[in-house]
Amino acid sequence: MANPFEYNGSAVVGMIGSGCVAIAADRRLGIQGQTIATTFDKIYPMNESLYIGFYGLATDALTVSSRLKYQLNLYQLRENRQIKPKAFMHMTSNLLYSKRFGYYFVEPVIAGLDPVTKDPYIATMDLIGCPMETKDFVVVGTCSEQLYGMCESLWKPDLEPEDLFETISQALMNAVDRDALSGWGAIVHVIEKDKVTTRTLKARMD
Amino acid sequence: MEDYRAPVEVQWSPYSWNGGTVLAVSGEDFSVIASDTRLSEGFQIYSRDFPKTYQLGDNVVLGSCGFQGDVTTLNKVIEAQLKIYDHIYQKKMSCESLAQLLSTILYTRRFFPYYTYNILAGLDSKGKGCVFSFDPIGSYEREVYRAGGSASSMLQPLLDNQIGLLNQTGVEKKPLSVEKAVQLVTDVFTSAAERDIYTGDGIRINIISADGVDIKEVPLRRD
Amino acid sequence: MFLTRSEYDRGVNTFSPEGRIFQVEYAIEAIKLGSTAVGIRTSEGVVMAVEKRITSPLMEPSSVEKILEIDSHIGCAMSGLIADSRTMVDKARVEAQNYWFIYNEPIAIQGVTQAVSNLALQFGEDDDEKEMSRPFGTALLIGGVDENGPQLYHLDPSGTYTQYDAKAIGSGYEGAQAALQEVYNKSMTLLEAEEKLLQILRQVMEEKLTSTNVEMTAVRVGGKFQRYSKEELEVILARIKT
Repeated sequence: MANPFEYNGSAVVGMIGSGCVAIAADRRLGIQGQTIATTFDKIYPMNESLYIGFYGLATDALTVSSRLKYQLNLYQLRENRQIKPKAFMHMTSNLLYSKRFGYYFVEPVIAGLDPVTKDPYIATMDLIGCPMETKDFVVVGTCSEQLYGMCESLWKPDLEPEDLFETISQALMNAVDRDALSGWGAIVHVIEKDKVTTRTLKARMD
Repeated sequence: MEDYRAPVEVQWSPYSWNGGTVLAVSGEDFSVIASDTRLSEGFQIYSRDFPKTYQLGDNVVLGSCGFQGDVTTLNKVIEAQLKIYDHIYQKKMSCESLAQLLSTILYTRRFFPYYTYNILAGLDSKGKGCVFSFDPIGSYEREVYRAGGSASSMLQPLLDNQIGLLNQTGVEKKPLSVEKAVQLVTDVFTSAAERDIYTGDGIRINIISADGVDIKEVPLRRD
Repeated sequence: MFLTRSEYDRGVNTFSPEGRIFQVEYAIEAIKLGSTAVGIRTSEGVVMAVEKRITSPLMEPSSVEKILEIDSHIGCAMSGLIADSRTMVDKARVEAQNYWFIYNEPIAIQGVTQAVSNLALQFGEDDDEKEMSRPFGTALLIGGVDENGPQLYHLDPSGTYTQYDAKAIGSGYEGAQAALQEVYNKSMTLLEAEEKLLQILRQVMEEKLTSTNVEMTAVRVGGKFQRYSKEELEVILARIKT
C-alpha cells in the first residue's frame, strides 16, 4: 500500500448554488485495481441540511464519520439546536488534528446550509485538519486534477438547484471517467432550505 | 585518522521538467493546436513568451512540451529528417507519415527517452483535420482532440464532455466550427491557468486549414 | 609507365583520357547479352514481360524467375546477370519495408529506384569496405503504382535511371523498343498492353513464344503485384494468335 489515499479510490465534490449547495461522490470501492463494490457511499448525512463526504482510505472514512456523528449527537443534545456548518467544520478539523502524528488518511468535504440563515456553505481540509472554505466549489479525490479542470470551466455563480445538479453531475462524471480508481456510478445530494434531493447517476462501468 | 563520513550517494538526473500545456482539436477541414507560453522550472518562471508549438510544414504543427532541452533537440531531428525526405522523394511529407516518423524517432530512444509529450495536428492527405497524440517513447494514436503536458488531466475531461459529448444525453452531434473550437481552447486554457502553476502567461493558437496556418495570441493570467 | 589507351579498361577506378570508365560501359554491353524484358505503363497499371531462355528440356521453367516483387505495389523485371539483379532487388525490398516502417505509407517507385541506383555505383577495387569490385552487369525495369499513379523506371549499370512510358532491355531491346514506340499510345488499356508486350516478345525472340518461355506480371491501380499464371498467359496468347 504505497499511498493509502489511492488504495480504495474516490472522488468527492462540493458546490455552491443560489440558496443551495450540492455534494456529490462516486460510488466505487476498490482494492487498488480491483473493484469490490459499486454502491459504496462516501457521503454521510450529519443532519437534514449537512453532509460530509470523504476522500481517502475507506476504513478511516468510516471511522471518522462515526466519531463525528458521535460528537455531533452529543453537541446537539447539549446545545439543543442544530449545528452550524462552520462549527461542524471546526469539529471535524479538531478531530483530525487530534491525530496530528498518527493521522486518518482522509480528506473530507463538508456541504450544508446554515440552520438559521440558510446560507450555503462548503469546505474541505487536509488529512490533519487544515481547513479551506471557498465560495464556489471544493474537490478532493484520486482525480482531483480532472475535477479542478471540470469545475473551473463549468461552474458559474448563482446556479439554481436544477442547474447546480447538472453542473456538479457533469463535473464529477467526466472527471471520474478519466480516472481508473474512481467512478462506477455516482450519487448527488442537492440541499435546499426546505428539502434535499438525492439522485444516483448511471455512469460507465469501466 | 580514518574517515568515518557516511557514504555519499550521487544521483545523475539528466532531465528537468519545464511545464507547459498543449491542446489540439480537429474539425472536418481544419484543426486547431494551441499551447501556453510559459516556460518554467520548479517555482521559477524562465519565460512568459515561449510558445511550445512548432510549424513543420504548410499545414502541420507539432505541439511539444516536457523537458525543453529534449523538445528542442527532437525538433531539430525532425526538421532535418523532413529536409532529407523532401530531397530524396521530392514531395512534402504527409501528416500521417510525419506521425509515423515521429513515433519511430521517439522509439529509437526507448531506453533513454526524449522527455517530451507530443501532439501533432494538421490536415491529413485527404484534407481532413487530424490530431495525433504520442507518449514519450512513441506509442501514438489518431484522435479528434487531445490535451498534453502539465494541465492535460484538467483539460482532457472537459474536452470529452464538450467535444466528445460524453455523459451528455439527447444532444445531437454537430460538426465543430473553427470559432467554437477556438473559443473552447481559450476557455479551457483560462481554466487551467487558474489552477496549474506551470500553465499561464499566454496562449498561442494555431488554426490550420487548407490556406495555411493562422496564428492567434490570447493573454492568460501571469501569476 | 606508358599506358596504352586500351589499358584504361583494366580498372574501375580510373577514367580514360576521354573521360570514360570502360568497365561501366562494358557492363552496359553485358545487358545486351541478356534475355529481353519489356514493360508498358498504362493508366490502368504497369505490365512487364520477360522471355525465359529454356536452354534444356530438362530445365524446370518455373524456376527461372526474372520478374520479382519488391513490395506489394512494385515489381522489377531484369536483364543481364540475374545474380547481380537479385542483390539489387534485395536492397530494394529492404528499402521499401524500411520506408513503410518509418513513414507508414508505401514507398514511391522513384524512391526505390533511387535507392537501388545508389547501390549501382558502390563498387571499387582498392577499398575493402566495398562489397562489389565491379559494376553490376544488369539493367532493371522497375514498375508499380504509387500515389502518382502507375510508374515505370529503367535503371542501368551506371546508376542512371529514367522514367518511361514503355521500355525494352536485353538482347532484343533495339527491335523491341522500336516496336514499342510504334504501338504505344497514352490511352492504351492494360488489356492492350498485355497483348502488345507478348506480340513484341514474339517478334524478338529466337524461340517460339509459348506460355512456358515467357513470364509476365502486372501491378494494377488499386491492386497488387500479380504474376500471370500459365493459363492466363495462354488466354492472352490465344487473343494474339492472328
